[in-house]
Amino acid sequence: MIALKNIFKWYNVGGNRNFILKDINLDIQQGEFISIMGPSGSGKSTLLNIIGMLDEASEGTYIFQDQEVFRLKEKQRSQLYKDYIGFVFQAYHLIDELTVYENIETPLIYKDMKSSERKAIVADILDRFGIVGKKDLFPNQLSGGQQQLVGIARALASKPKLILADEPTGNLNSKQGEEIMELFKQLNKEDGITIIQVTHSEKNAAYGSRIINLLDGRIDTNTTL
Amino acid sequence: MLKNYLTIALRNLGRNKIYAFINIAGLGIGLACSMLIMLYVKDEVSYDRFHDNVKNIYRVVRQERDKSGKKTGNDPNTGYFQGPKFAANVPGIKSFVRIQSGSRDVKRADEITSSELLYVDSSFFSIFSFPLEYGNKLNCLKDPYSVVLSEEEAKKQFGTANAVGKIMQIKEDDGFKPYTVTAVVKKTPENSSIQFNMLLPLKVAAEQEQNPENWFNIFLNTFVVLQPNANLTAVQKGMQRFYEQDSKNAVKILTEKYGPMNNKTIYQLQSYADMHLSTDFPAQNGLTNASKPLYSYILSGIVLFILLIACINFVNLTIARALRRTKEIGIRKVIGSERKQLIFQFLGETFLLSLLAFLLAILLVQLVTPVFNNLSNKALSLSYLLDVKLISGYVLLFLLTGFLAGIYPALILSGYKPVDTLYNRFIPGGKNYIQRLLVVVQFALASFLIIATFTLYSQFNFLTHEKLGYDDNNLVMVNKQSLSKDEAKLFKTELMKNPSITGFSPKNGGQWGTVAKTSSDSTMQFSYETVDESYVPLLKIKLQQGRNFSKFYPSDADNSVLVNEAFVKKARWKNPLEQKLNFWYDNNKKYTVIGVVKDYHFQSLGQEISPQLFTMKDNGFGVAFIKIKAGKETASLDFIQKTFKRLFPLNPYSYTFKNEENLKNYEAEAKWKQIMLYSAVLTIFISCIGLFGLSVLTAEKRIKEIGIRKVLGASVNHVVTILSVDFIRLVAISLVIAVPLAWLAANKWLQNYPYRINLGWEIFVSAGLLVILIALFTVSFQAVKAAIANPVKSLRTE
Repeated sequence: MIALKNIFKWYNVGGNRNFILKDINLDIQQGEFISIMGPSGSGKSTLLNIIGMLDEASEGTYIFQDQEVFRLKEKQRSQLYKDYIGFVFQAYHLIDELTVYENIETPLIYKDMKSSERKAIVADILDRFGIVGKKDLFPNQLSGGQQQLVGIARALASKPKLILADEPTGNLNSKQGEEIMELFKQLNKEDGITIIQVTHSEKNAAYGSRIINLLDGRIDTNTTL
Repeated sequence: MLKNYLTIALRNLGRNKIYAFINIAGLGIGLACSMLIMLYVKDEVSYDRFHDNVKNIYRVVRQERDKSGKKTGNDPNTGYFQGPKFAANVPGIKSFVRIQSGSRDVKRADEITSSELLYVDSSFFSIFSFPLEYGNKLNCLKDPYSVVLSEEEAKKQFGTANAVGKIMQIKEDDGFKPYTVTAVVKKTPENSSIQFNMLLPLKVAAEQEQNPENWFNIFLNTFVVLQPNANLTAVQKGMQRFYEQDSKNAVKILTEKYGPMNNKTIYQLQSYADMHLSTDFPAQNGLTNASKPLYSYILSGIVLFILLIACINFVNLTIARALRRTKEIGIRKVIGSERKQLIFQFLGETFLLSLLAFLLAILLVQLVTPVFNNLSNKALSLSYLLDVKLISGYVLLFLLTGFLAGIYPALILSGYKPVDTLYNRFIPGGKNYIQRLLVVVQFALASFLIIATFTLYSQFNFLTHEKLGYDDNNLVMVNKQSLSKDEAKLFKTELMKNPSITGFSPKNGGQWGTVAKTSSDSTMQFSYETVDESYVPLLKIKLQQGRNFSKFYPSDADNSVLVNEAFVKKARWKNPLEQKLNFWYDNNKKYTVIGVVKDYHFQSLGQEISPQLFTMKDNGFGVAFIKIKAGKETASLDFIQKTFKRLFPLNPYSYTFKNEENLKNYEAEAKWKQIMLYSAVLTIFISCIGLFGLSVLTAEKRIKEIGIRKVLGASVNHVVTILSVDFIRLVAISLVIAVPLAWLAANKWLQNYPYRINLGWEIFVSAGLLVILIALFTVSFQAVKAAIANPVKSLRTE
């Protein structure tokens, strides 16, 4: 599904190249659940953003579903992205001005889906996550765990093949965190969704099928569980 | 998708009430001003176009050229001959109508009033489309003793609009004569140059019709109607050819009388529709409401300023507020939005705001139309809006404003990278050069207008308070047509019986002027005044040389004149006293200068003091100057009126105070003063609400910095300074830009006045201080709020 070859990422700071990622080579198969770990500043989030097409590498090749991502035009990439990828953030990143229902609906709007179709899908997801009663609330009326649940629900609404999660439990207490991780596991097992998460926690990493350790922008270890 | 955008837009507005208010109010005011000016301009260009025939109606006008063919002057007036002679002899001219202004005394019961009216030819109603309420438009002016009234005048005279057949007593040379009302006209449209309450048939005496000199007696307006297929140039040429042929005899007679004529007259036709805004041939002499295109330009310019400032607010605030929206933009991009869709969304939000502002503007226009009408001397109303052109103009204005104010922020905002915005790596706007530039532009415009207003106010103050060289206080002027010397003496004796009345002097009515030979070869123009020996002391005019007229020199009455300093200068006399001069050309009589008065402003301060001459020769007086004691005005006026009515029962009584009449000279300035004041207040207000919005958003943006500074021990004062100084610097820069430009403009404007203020530094310093103080107040309000906030709140993250 994903193949990264000789990926480099750097910023120019005062004439010097400041490397974030150095020569990353990585293959990921459909259905994997991967945890990326490593100390602060090791390049975890950058790697995740490059995979998620939010960021571009300075050098290297990225193949997603047999297409070379960096060679695609903005529009094609956006299409690929809309069809296959969902994002979950540490800070949830819900739109404050929209209700739970509307937040989940928004990606479907961008897919030009008809209103009736959207309604069915959102209703389905609300049911599945048990948040029907909260659909008219705004994000600031929810607890952190509930907000993250909505974040995941939104990521799932467009039926992605790949979910990218950047420390999804970082702002949650341990009980809420466990629930979220269980949810990911279930999505991976039952729906066959590929999941890549960035995490600091060994415990969370253990939910996955493979752990990649980054150190100073390089892959330090690559362990299949 | 639209619904989603609309929801977001509305909720955003609801959550950011200050921002919404500033944007909507600012833009609303700007739009309202534009709407008013569009109404004004529309009214201006629609003048006189309601006549069915307007395309073929022209006014006969004259251009004067000297022997070398150089233009020496324009005159829109003509005389008895031009209309009938051209119409009869020049092919292409179908008909004509002459319009002469005048006034006649009208008697109703024992009340005598003086009525302004127009004398017109009987073709008047077949050429102009003034609908009649009652009467027949084809023959209502045929009878020499017929009178046509406006609806209003008919109601005033007879208590009913249907006055046809009723009799009015109108004064002729030999007493009041009965005139029959033959028609009543519906109210004339406001945008008509011809306004009247009463029309009388124009009567030309038989000997006048035969007098060839009437080619050169110029005192009325002549309109002609051309055949629809007539060639304008050919008609003008035909007129010129006929005139030159037909006037030969008159030229000969006049040359014999007064010497060779220096000027050649070129006849031209002026389209009636162009007359209202013409600067070459303005509407005058019975035609009213002459305007200048300059007014439209200035007003449009000011309104463009205001609208521009409101749009700048919009752009600035939207960009500044982007900080708050960056997260949303990032999320939208992450969950699949394309840039195009975001541009669409933000433009849509702008249009929503514009729409609200637009509605507000319509409301504002409705509210302030009366004030504006007062300022612009018009009777505009929103019902004018029911006009396809104007409505499409407004819609265009709305679309343009929405687009201009929205496109820049939309492009900027939609360009954000989600990785930057979602990971707090983002510093919106960086140095904000554009935002700063816009603030500078905005305040430069506002400062410019404030300086312009200050200048206008100072000049106006100067015009109305400058010493005139004579005393115009408590001076009542009472008009009495052809007041003879004996009548004046009687009037004076009767009035002086009342101790509240301290002085009396008769003078000719109106402004008279003539030409005199001051030496054998040169002539000069001057104003001349018919007075008696009491005039100079009554007005406290100072004598510079010689003496005043005196009863003890009987020859003064016939042979002596006083002149002013300007006269002496123009005549280049070294010793003015005992100089002889002759004028009126009627004989070789010489007048002797017996005294020189100091120059005083007998005209408006807008004009340079021109040569002036006083004589006691009996030309008949027209006005009595009466000095009354301060504090006794009501009783004195009462006494004057009673005395007047007793002595002159057949004359209408009217009075004015000389100082009030003097003020009337500056009505135009007073009006522009008000317009500029409103404009300046509006621009500074809109600029300030914009600045306020920016300061709110800046304080928000720097909330973390302020928190850290406070934790490190910064005082409230220090924080306020930090937050304010940036803005004040921008305002200072805008002043640096505005001051020289305003100085140039103010100087140029002041050149129009021969007597003007010195454009000192005070105006600029006070305007600058005012702008800075207002800006400081606006900014510090928010800065103080931010500075006293508890830093614990701002430093807690996520």
